[in-house]
Amino acid sequence: MITLTIDGRTVEAREGQSVLHAALDAGIYIPHLCDHPDLEAKGGCRMCSVTIDGAEKPVPSCATEVREGMVVDSHTEAAEAVRRTSMELMLATHPSECTGCPKYGKCEMQSMYQFMGVSAQAWRHHPRSVPTNDSNPLITHLFIRCIRCGRCIRACQDKRGVKVLDYVHDKVGIHAGVPGGKSLAEAGCRFCGACIEVCPTGSIVDVVGRMERYPAYADNVVPCRAECPAHIDIPAYIRAVREGRPGDAVGIIREKVPFPLVLGYICNHLCETGCKRSDINAPMSIRNLKRFAADNDTEQSWKEKYLRTAPPTGKKVAVIGGGPCGLTAAYYLRKKGHDVTVFEKRPELGGPMTSGIPAYRLPLDEVRKEIQLILDTGVKAEVNREITSAAELKKDFDAVLVAVGVSKGRRLPLPGADFQQVYTAMDVLADNRAGKDMGYLGKSVCVIGGGSVGFDVARSLIRHGMTVNLACLEQADKILADAEDQEEGAEEGVNILPGRAFEAIEGTPERVAGLRVHTVLSSTYDKATGKVTEVAEEGSQTVIPCDSVVFATGQYTGLSDYENFGIRLNGRGYPENDGFKTSEEGIFAAGDAITGISFVIKGIAQGRDAASEIDKYLGGDGNIDETLVERTADPYIGEFPGFAALPRVEQEVMSAESRKTNNENVYRTYSCEEASCEAQRCLQCDLRLQFEKIKLWSDFGGVEA
Amino acid sequence: MKKLETDVVIVAGGPAGLSAAVTVGEMGLSSILLEKSRTTGGAANMGMGPLGINTSIQKEQFNDISVEHAFDLHMNYTHYNVDADLVQTYFSKSADTIAWLQELGVEFAGAFRYFRESEATWHIVKPENGVIGPRAASGMVKVLTEKAKEYGTEILLETPATSLIVEDGRVVGAKAVDAEGQELEVRGKAVIVATGGFGNNGEMIKQEFGLTLMEDFYPFMIPGVNGDGLKMMWEVGAQKFGANIEAIYQLPDNMNWFVLDAVLRQPNLLVNQRGERFMNEGYMGNTTYVGNALRMQPGNYAYCIADRKIMKQYKKNGPDIMDIVHPADAFHAFDKEAELAREQGYSAYFEAETIEELAEQMGINPETLANTLDDYNAMCDSGVDTQFHKEPRYLHPITGKGNFVAGKFYLGAYGTIGGVRINKRCEVLDKDQKPIPGLYSAGSDANTIYGDSYNFTLPGNTMGFAVNSGRMAGESVMDYISGLEE
Repeated sequence: MITLTIDGRTVEAREGQSVLHAALDAGIYIPHLCDHPDLEAKGGCRMCSVTIDGAEKPVPSCATEVREGMVVDSHTEAAEAVRRTSMELMLATHPSECTGCPKYGKCEMQSMYQFMGVSAQAWRHHPRSVPTNDSNPLITHLFIRCIRCGRCIRACQDKRGVKVLDYVHDKVGIHAGVPGGKSLAEAGCRFCGACIEVCPTGSIVDVVGRMERYPAYADNVVPCRAECPAHIDIPAYIRAVREGRPGDAVGIIREKVPFPLVLGYICNHLCETGCKRSDINAPMSIRNLKRFAADNDTEQSWKEKYLRTAPPTGKKVAVIGGGPCGLTAAYYLRKKGHDVTVFEKRPELGGPMTSGIPAYRLPLDEVRKEIQLILDTGVKAEVNREITSAAELKKDFDAVLVAVGVSKGRRLPLPGADFQQVYTAMDVLADNRAGKDMGYLGKSVCVIGGGSVGFDVARSLIRHGMTVNLACLEQADKILADAEDQEEGAEEGVNILPGRAFEAIEGTPERVAGLRVHTVLSSTYDKATGKVTEVAEEGSQTVIPCDSVVFATGQYTGLSDYENFGIRLNGRGYPENDGFKTSEEGIFAAGDAITGISFVIKGIAQGRDAASEIDKYLGGDGNIDETLVERTADPYIGEFPGFAALPRVEQEVMSAESRKTNNENVYRTYSCEEASCEAQRCLQCDLRLQFEKIKLWSDFGGVEA
Repeated sequence: MKKLETDVVIVAGGPAGLSAAVTVGEMGLSSILLEKSRTTGGAANMGMGPLGINTSIQKEQFNDISVEHAFDLHMNYTHYNVDADLVQTYFSKSADTIAWLQELGVEFAGAFRYFRESEATWHIVKPENGVIGPRAASGMVKVLTEKAKEYGTEILLETPATSLIVEDGRVVGAKAVDAEGQELEVRGKAVIVATGGFGNNGEMIKQEFGLTLMEDFYPFMIPGVNGDGLKMMWEVGAQKFGANIEAIYQLPDNMNWFVLDAVLRQPNLLVNQRGERFMNEGYMGNTTYVGNALRMQPGNYAYCIADRKIMKQYKKNGPDIMDIVHPADAFHAFDKEAELAREQGYSAYFEAETIEELAEQMGINPETLANTLDDYNAMCDSGVDTQFHKEPRYLHPITGKGNFVAGKFYLGAYGTIGGVRINKRCEVLDKDQKPIPGLYSAGSDANTIYGDSYNFTLPGNTMGFAVNSGRMAGESVMDYISGLEE
């Protein structure tokens, strides 16, 4: 430790530390602009000038090392004079108005002149109009505001090693920029955003609107992670994949979700909608990288920590429903030391993962392994146990979580909907998954409903050699299932009939003959009343002949079917809830059972949040965060010509002919080479958060100006 | 959710919120101030200073104006369409407020007019280097911020308030979210909302005024000024009242083209897209009048035409109309910036050898424009503007010597004002004009004293209203809290 005096105060500093940082660390504010704690000091701006040991000439405190017994004064007339001149010089070419600047209110420069009270300037000699450049994706250049501090250049050149930004000397003078008038993509920019992060003015900024999507700053910087309902640390696991550590990648994923593999196969990847690379060419293929990691995780290095549980709390929790939400909640509650029992009405845990989603999308054996890991933590499970009253169950447990999902299929109220050969998607998919003989459906089937469940049914039945018509009310461009499902389904032979309204199921109660429909030209759904208004095409009525009809027209909890489930339900049969709390003390509800049908990742996220709530209710701290893999991220990402143009790597897809005949997964997992190719496309937005946040004068306590 | 307790919750730390914080602090109340930005000061960081009437500074300069005179002037200007009681309370307080600021440590360079016809009510904060100009008021922001902290105001930066908390009919706090995205609940005995209007919220601007940002409207857009406070006050029953723009005029993207904006706004030939004059250009110093007049023209814009000979005269002898924001220095930089504008194809600057060519660039019928110019030049030659009665000294014939030059000026605004109705105690009123207990508003959210147009003849008005109403709100809150305790 070195002891010195700064502005009359005795301060301790580390050996080799700069005077500036010794002062800042001690809570003494000295104005500074070109200095940045994460970049090498250059001493160029002279804003941090101080007088040392009464010397006549001020020196930049950022580039002066502390010395034992040194006496530093930042307020001498000489130091203030240098600082004032320096500020005036910077302001000389900076626009005289802050109006219209996207950095207004967050600008270091603005804060600095607030502190110093510097105002107008002699700009008559230095008009500079550098046009705003908003032609690049993600990053907007407003170099009219550049004060030539060089922070962005140091960040780009030295910190990142990307070497795109440099000083540009053009007609209007010197400013930071891309030499040669190239676009950022042409120059090899990796769009890491370091330049934005360190710019003390509004010269380099995120494109308009980029930073206002979420309340938290970090979420705006790393939107993939923000979009993921479970907030998986996506950039970190992509980094692990790129560096050839699929096991670490899985560990990182497992910090937030217990089903990396399931998600790698079937997640609806909201993260990809957040991916900033979409603005450059195409989003990262995040889901497929997750699948690659899960499929190649041989060492399971995270396992010991993953299975570790806290000492027993003596509290008992019952989870009703062994789907993604229930199992997730069970896992995290067990980790917190509670005694957890899952009650599942079906013969196997997993909910839709084992009894719904068909094998060609999700391999059963792998799902079972992930479920087994949860049981390995000591979670108890009782299958074939249907709970008809949560209140009754509560008598034996300290807390109960209702995570029953929406397992009951809904039928449209059509004449003939109760015929014998009319089924719901839930039942058909369960039978299909259980490997039952599907012959009872006959040779030709009509599926009603164009969501992903409808396509699961249709594509599964195609694999049983049946003729399948899938009809839905939505017009072709509004079909609910994702584009891949529609395209691949059609390739496999599903006959998609969009824009159809359903009139009746023809035939007799014992024998379905067909589905009577007519074509609708347009339809509108009034959310408030639930009413559908349609414009029918005249004379379009027709009967689609079929042996059976399957409704894939929505699901419900089924809780209102029980005589008295013991918690208050709303008109639609969902538990009334405030957060996760139901009407009854100690009984919680989560997942599809409160949100309505959703995606697996949403259910998992609900399970996590509910577990945290329940832990708090049981006297815990509710903290279920865990680090399974220590992170390292090298900020020096280096040069990469052509980075912007790197195309998104798609998984190889089996031919329609071959996939029709079996239940194997439609896609092949990335090869190692494909995975690392895809992973290296990542912008590594998270690196930006490594930069220390600069403190402004107003962040300091008692400032002595 | 994190929970905090204090006496007074202040939503936003611009000049109004900071003044309120210092005021309640002086009276021994604690406060928490929720500020969305990284710095305090809001719009005051770009401004120069507040209004003061009958201040000692004015008296020393022999420039004093009585409250009575200012009040009559203002009420005649607004045709009594505004709350006279609020105006008179504010005006009467303004001299004391200037003295109060001086006591806190704010130094003023003097009291100034914005343009010749205005009164010298603008108390411009003295910058350290002595040169008056944009941003001068940021020094005042610093003083107010430091004082507020000294009195124990906890300033939470990057923590925007999101809604108000109402219990038993009283406003008792605000919810907010911090930079990490964590929600927090700040409870107090009263809340002062001062978020500065919605000048940056395109959607609200479209909805309230039918104007489209960057199409027919180029206002100052201060990031974050999105109407947060108004929305949360409306949500708890505040009457929606008197929202308006503070109209001005400017070139699009004028920060990049500040010199052109400054030099081309002289009282030469102002024509609309039809190629016709529509006002006495002698009023171009009154930026509100011009803004209003532009709003009457197709597309909310007009071209101000001169020539290089006139520009040269301005450079040599000074411009026709002087104002503080657009200093005469700018004429020295004109040639260089004009060249850049042509090079870069800036869409709001025009230069041509002939009037027909100029008309073509502007998409105006060349014959109409040539006729308008001929008529105008004839009036210049005779020294009488028979159309709009512009003063003879502004009538410079435009011959095109050295090229015609022109700028395309659009309707702009400093921001918005108004949105809720307050009384002279700064209590926020509901639809029946009854105060909502515990809810106070100050500054531009509550500034409804202009009626249809900003009163440019009393410059410094908006910041003046902010600082004064902030103090008024702080004092009322003290009374309210004392009442609660009795």
